[in-house]
Amino acid sequence: MTGSASQGAVVQFDHVTKRYSTAAAKDGKGVPGAVNDLSLTVPAGKICILVGPSGCGKTTSLKMVNRLIEPTSGRITIDGVDIESRGLTDLRRSIGYVIQQVGLFPHQTIGENVATVPRLLGWPSARQRARSEELLALVGLDPAKYRDRYPAQLSGGERQRVGVARALAADPPIMLMDEPFGAVDPIVRDRLQNEFLRLQESIAKTILFVTHDIDEAIKMGDLVAVFQNGGILAQFGTPLDILAAPASDFVARFVGQDRGLKRLSLLRVSDAELRPPTTGRPGDSAAEARQRAAADKQHYLLLVDEGNRPVGWIAHDDIPAEGTLTVEMANPVSPQVNRRTTLKDALSMMLDADVQTGIVVDRTGAVQGLLTIEAVARKMRDGEHAAPFDVTAEPGADDHEAGGLQALATGA
Amino acid sequence: MLEGKPLIDFGWILDHLDDIAESILQHLQLTILPLVAGFFLSLILAIWAVRQPRVYGPITAVTGILYTIPSLAAFAILRPVLGTSLLTALIPLTTYTLLILVRNIVAGFQAVPADVLEAAEGMGYTRRERLLRVELPLAVPLILAGVRLASVTTIGLATVAAVLGNSFGGLGQLITEGLQTFFPTKYLLGAVLSVVLAFIADGLFVQLEKVITPWARAQAGAR
Repeated sequence: MTGSASQGAVVQFDHVTKRYSTAAAKDGKGVPGAVNDLSLTVPAGKICILVGPSGCGKTTSLKMVNRLIEPTSGRITIDGVDIESRGLTDLRRSIGYVIQQVGLFPHQTIGENVATVPRLLGWPSARQRARSEELLALVGLDPAKYRDRYPAQLSGGERQRVGVARALAADPPIMLMDEPFGAVDPIVRDRLQNEFLRLQESIAKTILFVTHDIDEAIKMGDLVAVFQNGGILAQFGTPLDILAAPASDFVARFVGQDRGLKRLSLLRVSDAELRPPTTGRPGDSAAEARQRAAADKQHYLLLVDEGNRPVGWIAHDDIPAEGTLTVEMANPVSPQVNRRTTLKDALSMMLDADVQTGIVVDRTGAVQGLLTIEAVARKMRDGEHAAPFDVTAEPGADDHEAGGLQALATGA
Repeated sequence: MLEGKPLIDFGWILDHLDDIAESILQHLQLTILPLVAGFFLSLILAIWAVRQPRVYGPITAVTGILYTIPSLAAFAILRPVLGTSLLTALIPLTTYTLLILVRNIVAGFQAVPADVLEAAEGMGYTRRERLLRVELPLAVPLILAGVRLASVTTIGLATVAAVLGNSFGGLGQLITEGLQTFFPTKYLLGAVLSVVLAFIADGLFVQLEKVITPWARAQAGAR
């Protein structure tokens, strides 16, 4: 899209400590914002979420990367180069920065706002303008409509998009995002998150992203760094790893007791074991179909059309002893999902429809298999065995079953 | 008026258009020079106060004291030192602008949102670029409000400078001489013209603000 698109760079924290000398340090709780011996490597092109309660040092860690805050000790490198060795303004202009309140310049038009860093870098004005329009389009804002407006004339969600466009303007390899979607309402936030993930697929920046919201961390992160008070890195890993095996009691409590359910939002139908359906077509012999339905585990037959698309369920008992199958015999089909649907959404659809089974279809609508509630529950339990900690568990009870999840699976 | 003469002698006005224009120009000089000097002095003091908040108190105290000195007294105090020069008139007129201007400029800088400053710093603005291209433009509405107030105040105070002498007295001189010679045409003309001048200055700054801060109107419209 930009020709010279710079791919992400590796960001490495090497024993980084930030101490604040205030009276609060004396009470042993640590000072809000302090960071304690942080070592962490963010691979190029990945989104790393820094998450934790307020005052845990996540924002301090972020701001040390563009040197808005200087560490007390330790060093941070970008692609192996110590950031201290680079000029301050030069470093900052090579890093995209997005903050919660956006911080757009109220006296500049949207177009000028987006072109901020290119202007600081002295690009020719025609190139600045072209770049700014390209980026507005990239974040889903029509350049002709928005270019000449002022920030005050935009909604919160639109301003946040402009903030992202502005951070991307000089095509930095790294983006720092400090609760970027924290100030918009949940619906807009969800949309911005999805758009941003789609955008990241094409721009592949190295992104450090601060949030206090574990759900956002799990959704947005390739990697998640969980911080606890005192600026201590409690766990660093993929969202699935962290949900499956919280490294400490703190992490287990922070990710919440519903971490099995949260795992489902990361897993897709294609990750679960599908059951082959027993199918029949209108016009098939009823007697023969009845036999097949009897052999089916759930005693149901799925009526499909000539394109193998589901028409409806017929219970074994409803199939007449003679004649042929007809469309009228079929009950409306259960929710249809595809292989990309998350297990969380699939489960939710099945619970809403009050059924045990969802039909998995491909792009043409043809049946690919059946997803049962049991299969979903099995995925939810996967990895639980590896969990060394659980807040509901007795200390030392390491091979317990997740009682809550069992109850859900049997009750469904 | 006393001998049944009309209150306004239009003939005299027509005969003295040159003198009247001269008075207006003098008055503009007495207004613009202190405003320009006061503005730059205030800008320096305000930026100092914004960067070193502890000097703000002393600065407002000093400019406040200067402001309370009665204008006539100030001219009287400076006259033995500087004579009846233009400078004697300009110094008090300048110091009177400081209180208003410093306060408004500081308020203008303080009104710049913290998130805007953080974004500017994080994106790699140097301190100077940030001051000139972010803070100053955003402070303009409050700064201009101060300049507007100071200009109207100065136009009024400048009429008092006539006590110093007749080489640069401006409209105040028309008023003083008119009163001394019981000639209403002259003193009324001086009074009316200084009021008109104040209105024009006020209107000009309102227009100026509209032209140079189109974004502020966008902001007002959005709320």
